[in-house]
Amino acid sequence: MAYEFTKEDLKEIEKLKARYPEVKPVTLPALWIAQNRFGHVKPEVQKLVADTLGLPEAHVHGVATFYTQYYKEEKGKHVLDVCTCLSCQLCGGYDILEYLEEKLGIKTGQTTEDGMFTLNQVECLGACGYAPMLQVTNDNYVNNLTPEKVDKLIDSLKNGEKPEYEKIRMPQHKNT
Amino acid sequence: MPQVIIDGQAYEFEGQHKLLQFIQDLGKEVPFFCYHPSMSIPANCRQCMVKVGMYVKSRETGEYEIDDNGNKVIRWFPKLQTSCNVDVADDMVVHTQETDEEVRRAQKDNLEFILINHPLDCPICDQAGECPLQIQTYKYGPEGSRFEVKKVHKPKRVQLGPRVVLDAERCINCTRCTRFTEEISKTHQLTITSRGDKNYPITAPGREFDDPYSLNTVDICPVGALTSADFRFKARVWEMNQTPSIDITNGKGCNIDLWTRDNLVLRITPRFNEEVNDHWMPDEGREAYRIFNENRASKPKQKLDGEQILSSWNNAIATFNEQIEAHDKKDILFVGSPHASVEENYVLSKFANLVGLNPPVFTTHIEKGKGDGFLITDDLAPNTNGSRMLGFNELDEKALKNKVKNAKLVVLLSDHLVDRGVLNADDLDGKYLINFATNNSETTKLADLVIPITTAAEHAASYVNVDRRIQRTLPAKETRYTNRRLDLEMSEGRLDRYGTNFDNWVTEDNKVDCLPLWRFITEAANNSGLDLALTSGREIMEEISGNLASFEGVSYEIMDEQGGIQLSPDTKTAKTK
Amino acid sequence: MSTVDWKNYEPVLIPDIKDLHKIDVYTKNGGYKAFESVLKDKDKWPDQKSVINEVKEANIRGRGGAGFNAGLKWSFMPPADGKPRYLACNGDESEPGTFKDRKIFEYNPHVFIEGALIAAYAMEITTIYVYIRGEYKVYIDMMNKAIQDAYDKGYIGKNILGSDYSVDFYVHSGAGAYICGEETSMLESLEGKRGYPRIKPPFPAQKGLWGRPTTINNIETLAHVTSVINKGADWFKSIGAENHPGPILYGISGHVNRPGVYELPSGIPVLDLINEVAGGMRNDKELKAVIPGGSSTPVLRADQLEGITMDADSLRTVGSMLGTAGLVVMDEDTDMVDVLWRIAHFYHHESCGQCTPCREGTGWLVKILLKIKNGEGEIKDLDLLLDITTQMEGRTICALADAAAWPVRYTITRFRNEFEARCKKSVHAIA
Repeated sequence: MAYEFTKEDLKEIEKLKARYPEVKPVTLPALWIAQNRFGHVKPEVQKLVADTLGLPEAHVHGVATFYTQYYKEEKGKHVLDVCTCLSCQLCGGYDILEYLEEKLGIKTGQTTEDGMFTLNQVECLGACGYAPMLQVTNDNYVNNLTPEKVDKLIDSLKNGEKPEYEKIRMPQHKNT
Repeated sequence: MPQVIIDGQAYEFEGQHKLLQFIQDLGKEVPFFCYHPSMSIPANCRQCMVKVGMYVKSRETGEYEIDDNGNKVIRWFPKLQTSCNVDVADDMVVHTQETDEEVRRAQKDNLEFILINHPLDCPICDQAGECPLQIQTYKYGPEGSRFEVKKVHKPKRVQLGPRVVLDAERCINCTRCTRFTEEISKTHQLTITSRGDKNYPITAPGREFDDPYSLNTVDICPVGALTSADFRFKARVWEMNQTPSIDITNGKGCNIDLWTRDNLVLRITPRFNEEVNDHWMPDEGREAYRIFNENRASKPKQKLDGEQILSSWNNAIATFNEQIEAHDKKDILFVGSPHASVEENYVLSKFANLVGLNPPVFTTHIEKGKGDGFLITDDLAPNTNGSRMLGFNELDEKALKNKVKNAKLVVLLSDHLVDRGVLNADDLDGKYLINFATNNSETTKLADLVIPITTAAEHAASYVNVDRRIQRTLPAKETRYTNRRLDLEMSEGRLDRYGTNFDNWVTEDNKVDCLPLWRFITEAANNSGLDLALTSGREIMEEISGNLASFEGVSYEIMDEQGGIQLSPDTKTAKTK
Repeated sequence: MSTVDWKNYEPVLIPDIKDLHKIDVYTKNGGYKAFESVLKDKDKWPDQKSVINEVKEANIRGRGGAGFNAGLKWSFMPPADGKPRYLACNGDESEPGTFKDRKIFEYNPHVFIEGALIAAYAMEITTIYVYIRGEYKVYIDMMNKAIQDAYDKGYIGKNILGSDYSVDFYVHSGAGAYICGEETSMLESLEGKRGYPRIKPPFPAQKGLWGRPTTINNIETLAHVTSVINKGADWFKSIGAENHPGPILYGISGHVNRPGVYELPSGIPVLDLINEVAGGMRNDKELKAVIPGGSSTPVLRADQLEGITMDADSLRTVGSMLGTAGLVVMDEDTDMVDVLWRIAHFYHHESCGQCTPCREGTGWLVKILLKIKNGEGEIKDLDLLLDITTQMEGRTICALADAAAWPVRYTITRFRNEFEARCKKSVHAIA
């Protein structure tokens, strides 16, 4: 299929260009816009970004492959990025990962046959105090995971409900 | 004058210098991979580590601080420095691997890292023998390997483009190739993909590395990651002779090396000349090796009953002289060539003069719009300015065509005028065409007498480029009548002397049966009783520079010393002294 | 040694005020007064230099991990020449164990924005970028909103509050790369490139974004600037440890009962942080080890912690660092081989691949550690690991190689028995 930005996307890109003295810095945000639009930044999308910005394709490819959040291939509808790094490791991150592997019937890095879930193991997501945790498709974090919480998450995702943002109070606070 | 102390020796300097380049310019050595003098400095290979410090001066007195032993106190930088990006400064003290164990250790450590994921496949690698990684590992690397876990695997035998093949496992991520396409050729076709030890250079997906300068990345790749699709597996580098020469495929005259084995040119690589091509050359020029090897005019040919048959040199000389004598002078046309050297054109013109003919005419070979402002020129011939400076009558294609039509005997110096559409068979119908030629072509097919002459790979000769710089070639391969061990112009072995000291491969068929133009003309002249004694390109150039003001001061010696000579740009035509 | 009075400390960076992230609530509670003061109160702040001097005097040591005096860093900016100058705020926060700046984005974004504006004014900066790691999508949205609110209220933009000072402020999102928390790598990423750290010199103050003078500060560092301008350098210095003063956002994670981010003075005893602030060890287990300031800081055994406080000087005495003040607490059941392997896995995954020692060394480390973890290692592998760390440290453009090497070196040396126990005695004798 041919990939094209919508008028709104192009407008957004134009707006971004004004933030920087040259076009190249728009590479990262434009890849984000593309990924939000198409769900991935496969080579054809990388080319679209390059052409839209008037930058070399190789440059965009180099950038897209350097940053892990850009999906260089199509993923499941929901990408479950399970943190297993240090604090999450200590607090059972690998147990959660294994639980998900079993529950979804796939190995880490794979996508379920129905294309619903991709399961990844990722590096520290900066939620160390709320371990173990995972991030859903580059969006909200789901913290302090237990098997029960994972079950609930999977059920609601299957029902098309994305997880809400979990506000975690500062332990010293009473009012916030 | 400011001075820097390197390994205990003081060196004065002026201006700005990067330490690594400064050390190299002194003829000393520090190992490195990513640094390239013509590109930006990423300092990413970390190989050129040295220890750097500064003499300490007292803040109050401005005097050097002296320690108890009477030596100047040195404040060392807290870490070893990559010498490539350190600016040489006054009172700087440097220890290289020559004098410092810590530096030796650091360089060895770094090579160990570079080698752990390298395939160590030198025996099947084209780069072996001219590989900075191989050479520097022998000199500075660890003796064994402590790496007993799995290596990283990456794509191999990737056809990056029509001319370049990638083995990503050999790559050490120096980024010379990507920097080349960003900074030099500016096609931006290469990038590093992925991250960490999965890194390797690649094009954008689905894109070809068809940069017109792509093969330069093969030259500057410090390992065997990028190899030439054409040259791959043809020869080991130590089997070849390396002869300095000039690119004759366009008007720039890039300085090159011809790599020969068994009297075949196997590859062409650029040779550094700051004034002309720096370290680079276009891919097209490298194809010229085929001109030197393939489809050569070998042994004279004569038309008999409308058909070309092989002849002998004696017959060719006799026929040449007969035809000159048989025609009215006004019916004879000598055509010089921007594709031939200054010496060849001069010899042709000298002979014309000797027999009382007008000087040769010529037409340029220019394709408007082909040039790129870098090393590819509109001019497809290497010596257009040389032909002009000899005072030849420069004709446009139409005018030349008319001249040919009005002549009865046409003597044409290696220019494939029919192939490039200046002349056609009808124009030559009924004329006698004598063609001095290096290669067979549609033009030679129409000739009544084909006299095979040497190419730039077989003779010493000079060419004046589009910028009026005169540069010369050296004979790289033997003909039937030359001998590498007797011809002092010919190189013996590789310039670096690591290889065998002469080309001892002896396939006779690879030697072309041709003569330098000067030799044929001398023989022909002597045969018809004319006084002519030309003995070499070198002597011819001496004669030219003695006779023609536009070539004043030109000699092979100076060209060799200075990498060519810039001729006065306002010399439009030749003046006879 | 005087003990820091932390029990009576009231948070100032993220005070307990409902809806403080809303600009109206922030201004109602004295927000943007500091910025207004430096712009308008010429008696107090006669020039930009006076602001820089106050911040320098406060000795806000960079909270991103390097601990460099922020005001001193500002003073390295060359004189303004009418051309663009930049402030790049580092919200990449990716070092394992570190999750503090997100709390500022969420609870009190304007204290950071205000601090950044003060910094920008002091250094005559024309554009501010805040670089936030891409995974923090929620916080990126929050920051975009907060910045827009500040634009709308006239704290950002042209001729701010009627002064002749103008500045723009933009969020730039990362996309998954720890290395972009390294300041020059962040600049590359801001310029739209692969996040390869730059060689220094030139330093960003000379040649930063697009070759122009640029200062890079951590989010928390800039947030402290607001308090310093409001309350003065002396107030800031009166809090916490003498050589590393001020409040710190401590991130506590691992095997404690109440993990989370706490705002407390610097220089708190490590054991107080664990046992009192964070509610002690989970399931009443014994404390085994602590990583005091993010995964790169050398791990400390429980027996090393007596009397050690959370400041650079005290931690140095036992061979560690304050880093980002993100503590990772480990109980008696923790397998140090597994922990070290996972840390090494992280650095291998995040090495940008530019410099040889890091690109190759991080991979080698993790492969040997995996071998040991799987019970296939040999004693000699431990010494090889230590050798590799020495070969990596101090040999690269940025500090990622050091960050990868230190945990390996110190975890092995401080828990060598555990590692040896996992190694085969000798493969060669059996073979």
